[in-house]
Amino acid sequence: MTVKIVTDSTSDITSRLAQELGVTVVPLTVFFGHESFQDRVNISTDEFYRRLSQESIYPTTTQPAPGLFAEAYQNLLKGNNEILVLSLSGRLSGTFRSAVNAVGMVEGKGRIEVIDTSLTAMSLGLTVISAAKMAAQPGMTLRQLTENVKAKLPHTSTLVAFDTLKYLAKGGRIGKAQGLLGSLLAVKPVLTLKDGEVAPMTRLRSMSAASDYLYNHIANMPKVEALAVEHATTPHEADILVARLGKIFPKENIYRSVLSPVLGTYMGPNILAVSFIESK
Amino acid sequence: MKQSNSINGTEFRDMFAAATTWLEKSASDIDALNVFPVPDGDTGTNMLLTMRSTVEEGFKVTDTSVSAIAQAMANGALMGARGNSGVILSQIWSGLAQGLCDKETFNGKDLANALEQASETAYKGLSNPVEGTILTVMKDVSKASQKQAAKNGAGGDVLSVMEAAVNAASESVANTPTLLPVLKDAGVVDAGGQGLFTLLDGALRFMRGEAELMRFRKPQLVESNVPMTPITVTAPEKVGADEIPFGYCTEFLLKGKELEPEKLKRRLVKRGQSLIVVGDDTTVRVHVHTIDPGAIIHFATTLGTVHSVSIRNMDEQHQDFLEMQKSRTPVADIEIVAVAAGDGLSDVFTSLGVAAVIPGGQTMNPSTKDLLQAVNSLRSDKVIILPNNKNIVLTAEKVQSLTEKHVHVVPSRTIPEGIAALLSFDYEADFDANTRIMTEALSSVKTVEITRAVRATQFNGFAIKKKQAIGLLDGTIVAVADEPLDVLRTTLTKAGLKKAEVVTLYYGEDTDEKEAQQAKDEIASKYHNLQVEVVRGGQPHYNFIGSVE
Repeated sequence: MTVKIVTDSTSDITSRLAQELGVTVVPLTVFFGHESFQDRVNISTDEFYRRLSQESIYPTTTQPAPGLFAEAYQNLLKGNNEILVLSLSGRLSGTFRSAVNAVGMVEGKGRIEVIDTSLTAMSLGLTVISAAKMAAQPGMTLRQLTENVKAKLPHTSTLVAFDTLKYLAKGGRIGKAQGLLGSLLAVKPVLTLKDGEVAPMTRLRSMSAASDYLYNHIANMPKVEALAVEHATTPHEADILVARLGKIFPKENIYRSVLSPVLGTYMGPNILAVSFIESK
Repeated sequence: MKQSNSINGTEFRDMFAAATTWLEKSASDIDALNVFPVPDGDTGTNMLLTMRSTVEEGFKVTDTSVSAIAQAMANGALMGARGNSGVILSQIWSGLAQGLCDKETFNGKDLANALEQASETAYKGLSNPVEGTILTVMKDVSKASQKQAAKNGAGGDVLSVMEAAVNAASESVANTPTLLPVLKDAGVVDAGGQGLFTLLDGALRFMRGEAELMRFRKPQLVESNVPMTPITVTAPEKVGADEIPFGYCTEFLLKGKELEPEKLKRRLVKRGQSLIVVGDDTTVRVHVHTIDPGAIIHFATTLGTVHSVSIRNMDEQHQDFLEMQKSRTPVADIEIVAVAAGDGLSDVFTSLGVAAVIPGGQTMNPSTKDLLQAVNSLRSDKVIILPNNKNIVLTAEKVQSLTEKHVHVVPSRTIPEGIAALLSFDYEADFDANTRIMTEALSSVKTVEITRAVRATQFNGFAIKKKQAIGLLDGTIVAVADEPLDVLRTTLTKAGLKKAEVVTLYYGEDTDEKEAQQAKDEIASKYHNLQVEVVRGGQPHYNFIGSVE
């Protein structure tokens, strides 16, 4: 009996990595007008950001229907597995509730745990990767794994440098960064996740200054266990940041990813994000 | 008051009320002595406003002992201190009050001791005292009065001590260019020292019984010991009758056509006290103390459009003359207060989340009390002040000792420094850490200021004609030209644009948006990787304020 990990598409792990780790990814949905797409399944990130810049209508999103989670649970339970579900923050999406509701739809009593990680993007991704690696350890039980994962959550987060807050504001996810709206100067806000919602960190005048800030934030941490860098439409800037971070953290262990279309809906283009798990 | 061995509090106060009126007559001449030919940091006006507050407090005390009155005056000076010179003056008053404490009356020896205490307190109040300024004059005054008092022996005559003090002050002021090279180059004596001399001179004349004569005379400016080019002095202001300490301090901007400031001044002089009218035919700034502000403003609206009106009840405890925006979100329970002259700049600061913006006021320097009121009006008890002007840093530092709240000053000397500090605020860091972070951010930006010279002068090898446009880079004059755009261009080339990422130009009330856009286009076309932003600042005096980072 092994513990299997289930997560949602905002965890931003590539499908190859998901396969390698034996992780099941349940997609959210992105709508462009009446067209709907499964996040990272039938719309690629490239296509999404292209449409975002070209179309005049803003995309919207919805959480996965409980049925999708139930289907995933069903498949995994068949193999005599236990399931740990790691969902993005319940304050950002109804995905957590969907995942919880789905538990009642299957015969998995006592064998499914659902955690609201309060995270998203690669902070959720790193949590999933870490959980999958721990689950592979012989004799790991669901209860133990749940405890281990929860213990790392307070030391896990994402910092995101934004070009504009308008997507966050329009999508209603701006959270505690509300006060940063309406600036009369062009600034690049850096935001983070706090208690499951978006919170402000600081503001910079340019994206390269923001990249410096992200670098320094990581450099000032005493010990980092896992690290990831993501971009939306600016891979070159992200590569520069990775190269710098590679001097203070094993470069081959820095995960590289692209922000999923669902996340792109709320963040917009020109984003730089760094995620980490600190060792405590 | 002739030969006298014993002066009480009421007489002491009257001496300095007369001294203040005397100072008022040459306040604008003293303003013109500023080393930098830039239109702010007006020492004369700042000292005058500080003295008005000083004397007003003195009139509120019923106890006639010199101890009580001097203490009240020291409080008035502290609250009303404007600009660096105002703060130092308030330190002098603090020392005087200490020296005169527990005394009903004072004699010559007491005065000498008090002047010595005043000198010590003034020096102590500064982390970096500079010789050749008001401090040196105070020190020389203190020494001379001690010497005279010793000579008088048991006699204790006050008048002779005062005369010795004033003579010493005059010589000391004349000597300031020898001690401070920038004064020599600019061809002026130290403005703060001159102000102190004028005050002591006015007090002395009153003691001599010359009060009536003073009404028709004018204070003389002390001539420098060092030969220099003569400066043109502006026409003296007519002074109103005796001060009434109550009423409303009314300030506003009047815009229109053919406003004729001189004529306006004549019409308003009967309507209130402490009238100041400055400007030209299209824009006039008015400051007056009156019991009927409504009538004055109504009258102004018949002449043009009225803007930035400020009416303060001068003896109210809870004056609320600040406009504040409700903060949209509690900012991690630290709130920030910024000083900004210019409605556009004020909007920028507010849009970036400061809890209160204090207008610079007529001299662009708010008083200690102005800052204190802003701090006390906030919800938080952890406040950071951004003075945004090197002439306001000292005033801001006085505020902590006047309030129960925790106040830290991030010593921004210019608007761009203040904005850089503000942006660097870290929502996850605590009060002390943020103070450190914001202070570190001050040096990350270069400031460019473009203005018109208020007088002719020589500086740094430049020969500057009055009204020419001058460009300052981090407070030093680096360019001179006839037009602001030309000077802006030159100044920016010295600011290291090749290595810069962002240039922001705040254009002032004397500058057209088109001019600003033109400047932006020129810079952007020359430096392709540079992000150039143009923002309406609406600031007085400075055509452009620019940040280079």
